[in-house]
Amino acid sequence: MAIRLQRLPSASPAVALAARAIAILLALVTAGLLLAASGAQPLKLAQQVLKSTFGSGFGLEDVGLLVTPLILTGLSVAVALRIGAWNIGAEGQFYAGAFAATGVALFIPGPSIVMLPLMFIAGALGGLIWILVPTLARAYADVSELITTLLLNFVATLLVYYVATGPWLDPGGHALATTARLKHDMPEFIGIVHWGFPMAILLAVITAATFSFTRWGYEVRIAGSNPQAAKYAGMPFRRHLIVVMLLSGAIAGIAGMLEVAGTVHRLQGGISNNFGYLGIMVAVLARGSCIGVIAGAALMAVILNSGIILQTQGVNTSTVLAITGLILFFTAVGDELAHFRIVSSKPAEA
Amino acid sequence: MDLIAGILHTSLLAGGVLALAALGEVLAERVGVVNLGVEGLMALGAITGIAAVVTTRSPTAGFALALAVGFVVGMVFAAITVYLRANQVLCGLALTLMGTGFAATVGKTYSGIPAPATFTGVEIPYLSSIPLIGQVLFTQNVLVYLIYIILPVMLHVLMFRTRHGLNLRAVGENPAAADAAGIAVQRIRFWYVTAGAALAAGAGAYLTLAFVPSWSEGVVAGRGWIAVALVIFAGYRPLNAVLAALLFGVITSLGFVGQARNWPIAAPVLSMLPYLGTIAFIVVPVVAWHRMRQVMAAPAALGVPYYRDLR
Repeated sequence: MAIRLQRLPSASPAVALAARAIAILLALVTAGLLLAASGAQPLKLAQQVLKSTFGSGFGLEDVGLLVTPLILTGLSVAVALRIGAWNIGAEGQFYAGAFAATGVALFIPGPSIVMLPLMFIAGALGGLIWILVPTLARAYADVSELITTLLLNFVATLLVYYVATGPWLDPGGHALATTARLKHDMPEFIGIVHWGFPMAILLAVITAATFSFTRWGYEVRIAGSNPQAAKYAGMPFRRHLIVVMLLSGAIAGIAGMLEVAGTVHRLQGGISNNFGYLGIMVAVLARGSCIGVIAGAALMAVILNSGIILQTQGVNTSTVLAITGLILFFTAVGDELAHFRIVSSKPAEA
Repeated sequence: MDLIAGILHTSLLAGGVLALAALGEVLAERVGVVNLGVEGLMALGAITGIAAVVTTRSPTAGFALALAVGFVVGMVFAAITVYLRANQVLCGLALTLMGTGFAATVGKTYSGIPAPATFTGVEIPYLSSIPLIGQVLFTQNVLVYLIYIILPVMLHVLMFRTRHGLNLRAVGENPAAADAAGIAVQRIRFWYVTAGAALAAGAGAYLTLAFVPSWSEGVVAGRGWIAVALVIFAGYRPLNAVLAALLFGVITSLGFVGQARNWPIAAPVLSMLPYLGTIAFIVVPVVAWHRMRQVMAAPAALGVPYYRDLR
């Protein structure tokens, strides 16, 4: 009898999930050890995080505010992954959506009941337009969408920074480097959490159902897992790719609209809080499942919120970004290891 | 004339950062591994360079230390993507997040301090007194010659004129065939990915030791991603990559000139130029000339881990 490793083409769901959990735990332990090495007391910090997050309704409301954009940016990345496209540009589409929604709110007069849906549409269109060139370039010239979507993030960030400090600067002069306060607020849902939260969840559920129960969703899934087979079966791969990528951009744009209309109420540089990049993380944690995105977003929101709570302890948003990277790294390793199983077999007869 | 000389001078500096990172990425991608961690490696190199130069006052030590950090981190990345065969896109993104976040966390104490010593220009006798171009081309710091001439020519010869170069390209095109021919696929991948990562970190150090020269959060500003895109634009060839980087140096320095001379274009809009330019340069050629797609095609096995038993 010899013991050897065998690689399976696809990991069993239970093993994959266990590998995930172990990977996240190991990543957090590693982060804790690194923090300890730099003189912090990780256990005390963890205790403080747990207490301020789950100890009161306010803590949970803070998490709720962070979860909303994370569900949507995560959903945006997950949707594109369904057809095998990497939308690394949710950050830029988020900015574009926030930009478009703010433009509508600032320059079109009207009552909130009309304006909010209009801003919603503008946000979705903003995100959609932002991913249009990468989509067409991928569909018709096979240019990697990974890099084009990412580069547009920098352009969107600069665009928002430019309008917020220049043409759209608050004429009242009450605040620096930001637009005037928008007149239209997303109404509150529970506490400080606005209606964007249930909307984000609803959107995730609808998307998941569309993928699972419609012919279109089926074709997209086939196209994503095996483009050759999809083309051979006569499915319009290019059309599906374009629709899915545009949808992905629109969802990220909606996230930007909700953030500006529900949480920040002004357009300013840095409004995205890295939500777009964290969305990649959420989608990966969810293994591309649209429902799983909600759980992934919840985990990321708690981690992001920890960074905010611990800001006074020398932990900051950059540290959170580094820890996020660590989790992603361990997850990628865990995912691969989940493919292996130990088998004992007789050595082959000579 | 001074204006053009000034633009060229800045272009060479700005392009050098991209060229070094792009050369590193060429190494990794030629053997079939996409390293999307360039941005993070550059951030690590940038902070290492500044931290070292503040302590030792020697930019050479800063650059060398950055290379070493890139080498070590690259070995971890290569071990996990090549031997463990974890998803290259995920590991690259993770490396970018970790590098950027870690550098920013550590960098708090160095933020805004100008580098106490930098790579400064060396006047090459006789050549530097050539009218017009002499001052631009032959008063640069030593690394400029390394980045623009020595390294790319060496890599070009290695890749396209030696047997080993043929082997390493085979590893990127068809690892199974290379394996059958007795080439150590995984070992070649491991070392080239590692070397590429070292160059990316070196590019970061070059940024903070010669170009900017100081550390601030976000100083890398997407240059790592531009470098990854340049590799595609350059058709995975070292000489092309350096020329493409220089072209981007020109675009970047035009933005600086515009700001310095108060052109009626807002600074943030000028800052968009390199990003928009990059997108245009990787999209337009393949749309305009269909044949470009074959000539400049990526290595066939790019991004695909190699399993011997799945042949």
